[in-house]
Amino acid sequence: MSNEALYQERFNRIQKAINLEPVDRVPVVFMGVAFAPRYIGMSIADFCADPEATVKANLATMDKLGGFDGINLAGAGRITPLLTAMWLSRLGVPGRDLPPDSLWQVREAEVMTVDDYDFIINNGWQAFLGSYMPRVIDMAEFGEAMGWLMANMGSCLSAYREHGYVSVCVTAASPPYECFCGGRSMQKFIFDLHRIPDKVQAAMDKIMPDIIGPAIGTASATGIKGIWVGGWRAASALLSPKLWDRFAWPYYVKIVNALVEAGLTPVLHWDQDWTRDLARLRELPAKKCVLNPDGMTNMRKFKELVGDRMAMMGDVPASMFAAGTPDDIYKYVRDLVRLFGSTGLILCPGCDAPINTKPENMEAFVAAAREYGKVA
Amino acid sequence: MSDQLTTAMADLEEGTVLKLVQQRLDAGDNPLAILTSCREGMTLVGKRFEACEYYVSELVMAGEIFKQATALLSSRLKSDAIGQRGKVVIGTVKGDIHDIGKDIVVNLLKAANYDVRDLGVDVPPQKVVDAVKETGATVVGLSGLLTIAFDSMKETVNALAAAGLRPKVKVMIGGGSITETVQRYTGADAWGTDAQIAVSLCNQWIKEVAK
Repeated sequence: MSNEALYQERFNRIQKAINLEPVDRVPVVFMGVAFAPRYIGMSIADFCADPEATVKANLATMDKLGGFDGINLAGAGRITPLLTAMWLSRLGVPGRDLPPDSLWQVREAEVMTVDDYDFIINNGWQAFLGSYMPRVIDMAEFGEAMGWLMANMGSCLSAYREHGYVSVCVTAASPPYECFCGGRSMQKFIFDLHRIPDKVQAAMDKIMPDIIGPAIGTASATGIKGIWVGGWRAASALLSPKLWDRFAWPYYVKIVNALVEAGLTPVLHWDQDWTRDLARLRELPAKKCVLNPDGMTNMRKFKELVGDRMAMMGDVPASMFAAGTPDDIYKYVRDLVRLFGSTGLILCPGCDAPINTKPENMEAFVAAAREYGKVA
Repeated sequence: MSDQLTTAMADLEEGTVLKLVQQRLDAGDNPLAILTSCREGMTLVGKRFEACEYYVSELVMAGEIFKQATALLSSRLKSDAIGQRGKVVIGTVKGDIHDIGKDIVVNLLKAANYDVRDLGVDVPPQKVVDAVKETGATVVGLSGLLTIAFDSMKETVNALAAAGLRPKVKVMIGGGSITETVQRYTGADAWGTDAQIAVSLCNQWIKEVAK
């Protein structure tokens, strides 16, 4: 079978899973941004410095492991400028700020100020980013990284396809909560929610079009329909219902509805524990979204409360990849397949297989998916 | 008046708490009694957290209010009035620079009257060993968000053992990706999914030591 035929078969399999239709076998998707270079023996410093390294490392890892239908978020370009843009935070970069084979780290600090809310309300998000980004990254570096990405995104995505792999998602549209939380730092942002809630909400409302528009633009330019709708600090386990109902959930609903209206597939890339609010997912369009949790959200509850409306892509925990055994992984995958059966499951590392994933655990993940995934 | 302060603290009414603390100081009230009112408010915050009325967002805010109240009182309090319950050494382990979870735990432990030596982030094992020797702490808290923290936690537990301190200290670990599997891997005594568990563990362990 040609790689293009393989791609089509895998694409259909993933699409069926998203549509909650029975599949011949459970699709398996890769996600291991820092694991991939380490697995193939590439230094993390080299990985961070070379814009071509992400695709090279992902493809080499996926080819070596075998058995993947696709990749969760199609990585391309240099990782650290992208993370800076996502977190609005400075990053420690291996080979520059950190030892060459260590993991990059977000240096969360109060960079965005309380006054910045006023600037955003009065001038908009794009004007704010123009003045803000120099606070967290060298703009020559940032411009070069983004320029490379604009020029090469198409060929990067083609490379995945040429190897027969489906790129499930291509970019992210994270709600204002996550953007501000990154820039303000979590503690300071929580103070803001208590001290100046109306101002925070006004700024959140202001930036929504600038979150949704570019994501739809990227999807349209690349032809890839999956968009990460990120959630890490807005998780139910971290926020009281009163705050969550005002500052988190309404924005998720608006983003998801806008993406679905544009014919796209929102992938709720949610870290941490969202169990408390799983029933709220019923408010989202049925069979149009995917939950992509990290192992902390209760999957039995998800299946019980939302399993008839939404697929799940996940959720083998990062801690299990790093500290567990192949037997742990086997059992986890087996239990997921037993829980979901032939509908609504895409196997994937929860969040991201970490840098210190034991190779034997990733190999066990692929093998377990092969063994237990034949559910038809 | 003490009820008012306790209630305001528990209800996270920042302005009211600071106003009441200042009023009582100005009225010549015993600073330790004022601190006790604040602590009682923090105890209620902990109970509301356990009852799922409050979440991390409220713990963070409560910690901030308590910190400000304590700052108003600090110059009037005798140094031995703080941290009487026991000594705890805490830090984010080597290789990890995340401090949010650790800082919440530090604030809650201080509010619960523990003497906390906060070693900060990216803390090498030897620094933990040295701090335990210096302070005589009976509890060590190790924090880490990233999975690369697991090995550092394990190394720290091993370093405490190599220094002959392991029988004298209980080790608790916490952070976003910590699970029972990680506890077993690191050799820690306990793990927690939230900051309030750290306070409960300390209370439990300090009681055991006192027996």
